[in-house]
Amino acid sequence: MSESNFRTGFTSRCDTGEVTRRVLLVEDDPRVRRVLRLALEDEGYHVSEAATGEQGLADLRAEEPDVVLLDVMLPDTDGFSVCREIRHRSNVPVIMVTARSDSHDVVAGLEAGADDYVTKPLVAKELSARIRALLRRVEPAVDQRPRRPVMGDLSIGLDDGVVLRDGEPVALTRTEFRLLAELAVAEGRILSREDLLDKVWGYGYFGDSRIVDVHIRRLRTKVERDPASPRHVVTARGLGYRLAG
Amino acid sequence: MVPTRRFGVRGRVTVGFGLLALGLSALLSGLAWTLVTRTMVSQTEQTALVETALDRSEVENALSTGAAGLPAVLEGVPGTDSAAVLAQVDGRWYATSPSLGPTSLPTELVSMVNGGQEATQRIRVDGTLHLAVGLPLTGGRGGYFEVYSLSEMQRTARVLSLGLVAAAVVTVLMGLGVGRFASRLALRPLTELNRVAADVAAGRLSARLDADGDPDLEKLAGSFNQTVEDLQRHVIADARFAVDVSHELRTPMTTMLNSMQVIQNRRDQLPESVREPVELLADELERFRALVVDLLEISRHDAGDQVVRETVRVGDLVRRAADAAAGRVVTSIDPAVSGLMMEVDKRRLERVVANLVGNAETHGGGCTGVRVEPGEHGLRIVVDDTGPGIAPGRRARVFERFARGGSSERTGVGLGLAIVERHVALHDGHVHVEESPGGGARFVVELPTSAS
Repeated sequence: MSESNFRTGFTSRCDTGEVTRRVLLVEDDPRVRRVLRLALEDEGYHVSEAATGEQGLADLRAEEPDVVLLDVMLPDTDGFSVCREIRHRSNVPVIMVTARSDSHDVVAGLEAGADDYVTKPLVAKELSARIRALLRRVEPAVDQRPRRPVMGDLSIGLDDGVVLRDGEPVALTRTEFRLLAELAVAEGRILSREDLLDKVWGYGYFGDSRIVDVHIRRLRTKVERDPASPRHVVTARGLGYRLAG
Repeated sequence: MVPTRRFGVRGRVTVGFGLLALGLSALLSGLAWTLVTRTMVSQTEQTALVETALDRSEVENALSTGAAGLPAVLEGVPGTDSAAVLAQVDGRWYATSPSLGPTSLPTELVSMVNGGQEATQRIRVDGTLHLAVGLPLTGGRGGYFEVYSLSEMQRTARVLSLGLVAAAVVTVLMGLGVGRFASRLALRPLTELNRVAADVAAGRLSARLDADGDPDLEKLAGSFNQTVEDLQRHVIADARFAVDVSHELRTPMTTMLNSMQVIQNRRDQLPESVREPVELLADELERFRALVVDLLEISRHDAGDQVVRETVRVGDLVRRAADAAAGRVVTSIDPAVSGLMMEVDKRRLERVVANLVGNAETHGGGCTGVRVEPGEHGLRIVVDDTGPGIAPGRRARVFERFARGGSSERTGVGLGLAIVERHVALHDGHVHVEESPGGGARFVVELPTSAS
């Protein structure tokens, strides 16, 4: 991971909330592209379009989008490899567009590094809700709690988004950081998958808990010494997850 | 025909083999018995005749010197194993055994001998079988008789018969054994067919019958496999068709839904005259979307998709899904199951509850309550409504695709309940509809706690 990757999306542009969000739409069907652009722009986004995976990766550099909307089926390559490629280059939130919510595509997309997924037919209003949830900040502290809780060798900067393990910065995506932050704010209490879906992804109760599990797994590979026997991000069987020192 | 129906093919073949063995062994034993006893009897008679003839010549020698010494001669008949010796000389009887007098001899025998003929006859003396042999004396002076015991022969015959019965029993048992083995061997293809047919019935359409190169079975296996192949092709084609149609609908759907959304965002800019048609269009579009989503749900189920199980507190899941679908609090949970954790496909179970409550709301005059309680094998979810209910004859049919519940004016397309039935079946449970105490319809979902 290069130093340029080490951003958790806490750029000034994202923080203000008034600035127009930029969406990169990678979708091969021109009809879908056209109407989604229309509807998303109506929702207040700036939309750039890419018809192929290759073009999408080129646009990622040129347009610096706040979020990428990535179709699984693309003419030149599949969305999963594009997603993996995006993850090598950037921590930008990726929403995968799949045909079916119960297919292998969902897990494959999440494993490839997608932050969330939506199923077709998609409506800009729902999409907008997903984007807003992904770009949401960690709730600011109400009291004067220390904003850098330390759990064993892990130090979590809730305000600056910098996570240190043994003093070394850990590169997390925005979603991974928010997951870790929510667990840190809970101060060791167990958060159910539904709690986490609600807090991090804004799903309320009816979300797909596979999203949580896949992100927890990926978070562990980054913050745990031995991801197979985690010491920080601990599973409470049948209940959820909690953070331990 | 009724009694044989009680046995299976295997039983019938086994019993058949047993009966065949019994018949064969009875025939052979009978034959052996007859031959052996006949031979024994004729040999005994021959021996007795020869012996009696020898003894008679001694008696005649003695008689030539006068009849006075006859009793002593009779007593001293050498080398006979006969039970008794009798002689009738000049009308007078002489006998060695007091128990076996002339009266013991059958009169036909005596008269035949007196007529100058040799004669043998089996007689019963004191309940045991004897052979009486009579020879005429020379010069027409009378007859000479010896009586032989046949008890030795009888004993031999008894031993023989015991042996034959034992052999018959062994043969029958062996027949049963061979029958059982043969039937199992012969029925193996049937067993295999049974297994594969059960697989197919359970929905594993890829199951095929293997003929193992047996020319007798190849034809059956061939036609069976062909049938399953056709079935599978049809099922896949049907499922494919629905999936393809729904897929094809997605793009125009996306265009319509999003365009409509943009229009609705600008509702106040629309002229008054088009607002109502736009509203109508929007409603219909939403219904259309729900239909496509349902169609996809049920068609991908046909195409055989995966079940994602996770452990959840079912009561909570039902409460949230039901209350959300009704838009108000409708759920009550029996304390006995409020903490129950179960392995379920969360998305599907939510869908089941939402569809049942949605059905009660739109077609059943409103949902009056959702109860979660202990069931037969686990958990029971009961959804009541206040509608007209469903006639008993139509209750099984409401779970069919595009079925309507009751009165013809009911609107909406019935995929929701078909989805409910399939999702419940995927959890090894079942759903049925009955009359609720309030008069409406009551849908009952039974979910086993230990789903496979």
